[in-house]
Amino acid sequence: MPALAVTKRRAKKAPRAVSETAAPKIEVPTERTAEAPKKPTTLTLLDFFPQEESQQTRVSRFFTELRAGRFMTTRCPKDKKLLWPPRVTCPQCHAEELDWVELPQRGHLYAFSALLAGAPLGMEADLPITVGLVDLEGVPLRLFGRLVGAPWNEIRVGQRVRVEPFDLADGRVFYRFHVEG
Amino acid sequence: MTSVRPVAVVGGATTKFGVRQATWSELVQEAGARLFAAIPNLAASDVDSLFVGAAEPERFAFQSHVAPLAAELLGLEPHRIVQRTELACASGQSAIRSAYAAIAAGLADVAVALGVEKMNLPSMAEANTSMACVMDRPWDGAHGATAPPFFAMVAQRHMLEYGTTEDQLAAVSEKNHRFANSNPEAQFHEKSFSREKLLRLPLIAPPLRLGDCSSMTDGAAAVLLVSGELARKYTDTPAWIRGSGQHASWHNLANAGSLTDWTGMRIAAREALGSAGITASQLDFAELHDCFTISEIVEYEALGLCKPGEGGAYVTDGRSDLGGDVVVNPRGGLLGCGHPLGATGVAQAVEVYRQFAHTVPPARQVPDPEWALVHNLSGSANVHSMMVYARGG
Repeated sequence: MPALAVTKRRAKKAPRAVSETAAPKIEVPTERTAEAPKKPTTLTLLDFFPQEESQQTRVSRFFTELRAGRFMTTRCPKDKKLLWPPRVTCPQCHAEELDWVELPQRGHLYAFSALLAGAPLGMEADLPITVGLVDLEGVPLRLFGRLVGAPWNEIRVGQRVRVEPFDLADGRVFYRFHVEG
Repeated sequence: MTSVRPVAVVGGATTKFGVRQATWSELVQEAGARLFAAIPNLAASDVDSLFVGAAEPERFAFQSHVAPLAAELLGLEPHRIVQRTELACASGQSAIRSAYAAIAAGLADVAVALGVEKMNLPSMAEANTSMACVMDRPWDGAHGATAPPFFAMVAQRHMLEYGTTEDQLAAVSEKNHRFANSNPEAQFHEKSFSREKLLRLPLIAPPLRLGDCSSMTDGAAAVLLVSGELARKYTDTPAWIRGSGQHASWHNLANAGSLTDWTGMRIAAREALGSAGITASQLDFAELHDCFTISEIVEYEALGLCKPGEGGAYVTDGRSDLGGDVVVNPRGGLLGCGHPLGATGVAQAVEVYRQFAHTVPPARQVPDPEWALVHNLSGSANVHSMMVYARGG
């Protein structure tokens, strides 16, 4: 399942552009040329990761900002409630226009564990799958996420972590938490 | 709640639970045949409604529209209500709750609630993938959030906050596996499941070991629910549904409440016990959702059987065992019976019916029970579903 395999984010990677030169030249009807070429996709039935293209989701900004190194979410302008994951309406007051705000990228571990056996498809090579709940610094958000950077049996509750974007094999971007020494 | 009609469970049956050499529809057929065998006075033409609890037939059996399939397999032609209910690990209880609601409201009179899951597939990685989409798949599941690491974090916090020990966790598994030994339909029959042996089993998600986790199981179960005036046609020992409560408030783990104090379960318990007019201490036994050992310990506390932090001692002091305060999981629990998602809640109701009828082996028979509670959590304990039963009379 190469589409689900994760790769390390390359340093100083140029903004990912949909390549028009690498793809074989195919004649397409004029009325369809305005559409962005589709990336390779994984069967939805087996795809864990969020759809990030603007054709697929109304929160694609989360992913474009993440690619640029900013960790964002939405906040309700009326009741100021910070919403996770990014939403398109406020579940509290049902406002339909939300603000984007940048989140802190550091936090500390509230709890963690590691799955040592029984990985889902595409994650077998990741075993042990270390995960935890992270209290982000200064905001009332406790996010769940994959932990990398230290083996599970050397991690402690309370340890500092930072948000780390990474590329998926099919070009999408996602985030995880890097445990700091 | 005073205007609802009385509703009773008047019989039920389960298949053998385990790694079964049988398909989804074969399990349904077995449960159906056993239901009719268990209730001799039941004719297929009596049944006006069918509720099928099935969590993920699309993923485990690549089959949608399963309620009419089950109707066909059982020889039923429901003419009031026919539907599937899905609530992950609580899908089976969801079928019973829906049948109860329909009969109580006067929209149905005789309903079958059938729960089923086929989880053991040629590729278990595929099954694990399906289990991970119970969580908020793109935001939590994508990180690798399956049930074991989540409940491991519950155990970690409970240990940190209250000093709960691995030995106390193992005591839950030891008790429930001992009960399962007297349940021929249970997945596991380990004659010597000692705490010491459990503590030597491999870690699955630290601090949880293999013996702390319920398993991926194939199985089906079915019960018959009828309106009060019809109960005696089918049994001398009806199990009356007296109370009901349910609570949901969040799904993504970022919006979760306390890991160690399951407030949603407290609310569901207040509803369920309150509508039955009893307190937790009046229960004779409870089928609690022990998907992991730590779950049962937190559930003692959330149900109000003991104070926060005392759940570990509650089991090691024998208070949830025969001869204790409230017998918990005499059927063998999810730990001993296995956990076919859709079937579990229905199998728990079958146990309630059998306990009231005194038809279980003495090793797990609760003495003269009058009140029982059935609880299922689902997902990451973000939903709690509860029903209270009283013995016929």
